Amino acid sequence: MSTSTSAIASPASLPEERHESIWGKAIYKLRRDRAGMVGFAIVTAYFIAALGVWLGIWGTHWSDVEGPKWSPMTSEFWFGTNIIGQDIFQRAIYSTKTAFEIGLVVAVLSTLTGAVMGALAGFFSGTWIDEIILWIKGVLDSIPFYLFVAAVAFALQDNPYAMHVAMVSTFWTTTGRLVRGEVIKLRNFEFVEAARAIGVPQIVIIFRHILPNTFHILLVQATIVFVAAIKSEVILSFLGLGVQDGVSWGLMISESTLEVLAGYFNNFIWASVLLFGLVMAFNMFSDALQDALDPKKVAAP
Amino acid sequence: MTDEVAKALLSVRNLVVEFDTRYGPVRAVDDISFDIFPNETVGIVGESGCGKTVTGLSLLRLVPSPPGRIVQGSIILNGSDLAQLPEKDMARLRGDEISMIFQEPMTALNPVLSVGEQMTDVLRQHRSITKRAARDAAIDMLLKVGISVPEKRIDEYPHELSGGMRQRVMIAMALSCNPKLLVADEPTTALDVTTQAQVLEQIVMLQEEFHMAVILITHDLGVIAETCQRAIVMYCGNIVEAGTTADLFERPRHPYTKGLLESIPRLRDERIPELPVIPGMVPDLMSLPAGCRFADRCQYVQADCRQTPPRLKVSDDTRSGVACYHPLNQEPGLVRTPA
Amino acid sequence: MEVLQFAVRKLIGGIPLVLGVTLISFVLMVYYGPDKTFELLGKNPTAEEIAEIRSELGYDRPFFVRYGEFLKELVTMDFGLSDSTGEPVNHMLGRTIPISLALVAPGFILGNLLGVLLALVAAYNRSGWIDKAIMGFAVIGMSVSFLIVIIAFQIIFSSSYGLDFFPVRGWNVHSMGDYVMYVTVPTLASVFVALGYNTRFYRAVLVEEMTRDHVRTARAFGISPVKLFYKHILKNALIPIITRVMFSIPLVVVSGSLLIESYFGIPGVGKITFDAITSGDQPVLKAVVSLTAVLFVITLLLTDILYRAVDPRVSLN
Repeated sequence: MSTSTSAIASPASLPEERHESIWGKAIYKLRRDRAGMVGFAIVTAYFIAALGVWLGIWGTHWSDVEGPKWSPMTSEFWFGTNIIGQDIFQRAIYSTKTAFEIGLVVAVLSTLTGAVMGALAGFFSGTWIDEIILWIKGVLDSIPFYLFVAAVAFALQDNPYAMHVAMVSTFWTTTGRLVRGEVIKLRNFEFVEAARAIGVPQIVIIFRHILPNTFHILLVQATIVFVAAIKSEVILSFLGLGVQDGVSWGLMISESTLEVLAGYFNNFIWASVLLFGLVMAFNMFSDALQDALDPKKVAAP
Repeated sequence: MTDEVAKALLSVRNLVVEFDTRYGPVRAVDDISFDIFPNETVGIVGESGCGKTVTGLSLLRLVPSPPGRIVQGSIILNGSDLAQLPEKDMARLRGDEISMIFQEPMTALNPVLSVGEQMTDVLRQHRSITKRAARDAAIDMLLKVGISVPEKRIDEYPHELSGGMRQRVMIAMALSCNPKLLVADEPTTALDVTTQAQVLEQIVMLQEEFHMAVILITHDLGVIAETCQRAIVMYCGNIVEAGTTADLFERPRHPYTKGLLESIPRLRDERIPELPVIPGMVPDLMSLPAGCRFADRCQYVQADCRQTPPRLKVSDDTRSGVACYHPLNQEPGLVRTPA
Repeated sequence: MEVLQFAVRKLIGGIPLVLGVTLISFVLMVYYGPDKTFELLGKNPTAEEIAEIRSELGYDRPFFVRYGEFLKELVTMDFGLSDSTGEPVNHMLGRTIPISLALVAPGFILGNLLGVLLALVAAYNRSGWIDKAIMGFAVIGMSVSFLIVIIAFQIIFSSSYGLDFFPVRGWNVHSMGDYVMYVTVPTLASVFVALGYNTRFYRAVLVEEMTRDHVRTARAFGISPVKLFYKHILKNALIPIITRVMFSIPLVVVSGSLLIESYFGIPGVGKITFDAITSGDQPVLKAVVSLTAVLFVITLLLTDILYRAVDPRVSLN
């Protein structure tokens, strides 16, 4: 028989408002993380730039051959021109839209796929459903990424979305694995037993009760995939497997490989700087997000 | 100092331990003083957050050092002040003169090393003996803590043992170099009731056999009643009362102690409408009241209680004391404020 | 003997994986792959010529027969001749694999060692300025594209606009000195790019292990800091470390080398893969894919064996 002193009161409260839910606490922590907030601001700036391109407000002359070959940075051509005479600034701004497009599409789709597959695998863990999904994951993980993209590009007959398909097909596996692990844990919680006892059908249990508890994982993974997608596009464009219509930083950089040998660095530098800016800012934000949602994650505590 | 105090094994004076938090430094332990005498079992009792674990950790200088630190005070063991000792010397004392065992036997042992390896590591750290001799000594200790077939167990890994056995292994490790003082932080809280009783019994037996003092940190008054001769009651970072277990249970002097005792569910002659609880909540360490920290919840509170915090008034032999302006069950001629 | 049985069991268990990989690759690259009928014929081919070529290329055979042939090639390790150069594929692999290994090994080893070292410094100075600085650089490293690094390093170290010291392209290695000259810039690039990720990962692992209960217990018993590190932190951290290192091996050898070799013109596995991708050279692609799948399964196996050696909680069942 316990004779503990727990009949008495509860622990001290913080002077600030109490944040009970994981989200409330997260937003609170996030707002105080300076690096993360700076990252977020920068990303927002890029996003506005992309929006402007999408709405046709700026960056529209990205393919026009307007100037002399390799013009230096002047007031007319803020970043100079490339080997064909296209305005580097216009191209760089246009590429913002490309980047967001790829990043968002791949991030959203792969996160959704990972969530669903992971939830199914985890909930039915130990059965053939789980085995098959794990097998698929294993197979996709073992195929070298660039080969896979190439293969998909062939199979889809050079469809401009081949790259997106390939990326989504490979990027969902990590999310899937994490969600599966979490669902296995959650499956044993009492609220699942309770729902079962009331007769809630399994599908509903999975998607309405368990999956929402993995949203913090999904959010973090989405940001990681966003960055991975943008970075992958760069290399894919260099290999000729990436963006087919339009322009992207990756294409600009691959174009610049020749220019660079001749000593003209503008194209290379500006595309690299802008790319680095977005990726770095997003990484900082992603770190802050991870920190806010789960203090056991990577960044310095 | 009187003769009594001169014989104390451990003397803690004015110990303050602070933690850096987002909102500023917080004092988990705020100016506590007590003595531990050889061969006695003393309990430190209080609810979660009262500072008893931090007190235990400070005795071995194990308070995690980025957020926490010992701000002031002395911890005198055998003439040297542990609070000032350089880390290297402190490491030499740990496991040798003073040992500590922790609450979670499941995670307290390294899962990738065998029991024997972990025990002989401790032995060979403090004594220069051969591996063979260390292994024999370890087997011996395992037997002493009540583990059967120790020659086999010693090569097993922690995950192959039950919680109770793991705790016994911890005790064996702690005692292997014959320390003068053992600090046990909630050693049985994570165990089931039957195992709890066995492990406690073991600790009591070993205390006698090894002639050491034991500090038993717990929130469970039942444990105190069964195993300790004396107890120290902590509340909100302070010591509010200390005395023999009998005195504490029969004639509690601090209203908090009284409240604790009353809230223990027990068999009564008549039915009562509600279980007695102490009303209110423990004050927030960031915004402490001006006077006694228990004032808001005390049914005997008076005006002077809220002015300044009462200091611990200690008996001549330093074995008992109370920090209250209006103690209950007060016996005459007991008061002396420590230095 | 136990280990051997375990190994065999694991290898057999890896068969579905190999089948899966080969199936997907086959479907994508061969079945839906480029139809080379018209490449091989001249202008205005006749119907008979078309039929003849198609038969020769095997396009008229049913799916599973073709897949079966592919599997046979895999098992007998005979992939035929390269479509573009006519060289026996096995020969190509034999020539290029050693080069790729020699190319990526220094970067891989260095990248991981440095990563662990930096992570150690960061972990032991947790929350201090050194920690923050190292982590800051790690994020920067993570944010730079590999391509940018390669191009930039080539400019800085090899071109006339920079140091002009190291060779720009190629792999003309006949001596140790040559090796050092040719491998340095690629190695620097790989290390730069991998270091950020590695350091962050190792730091997280180390911090996780450092804050475990059993480390506190060992400290409480007076164990020296050095012993504490080796026996209680590092040893326990080995499982996640082994996992990461082992699983990045297949990745690094194929994908990692692809970019470096194509850019620096180094004739390794990556380059022939890249060439095969752009030219649609099926035998080579088939061979590389199969190779990677097998490599992956072997890696899985080795990893499991290593786990067993390090963690007694893992049983061979």
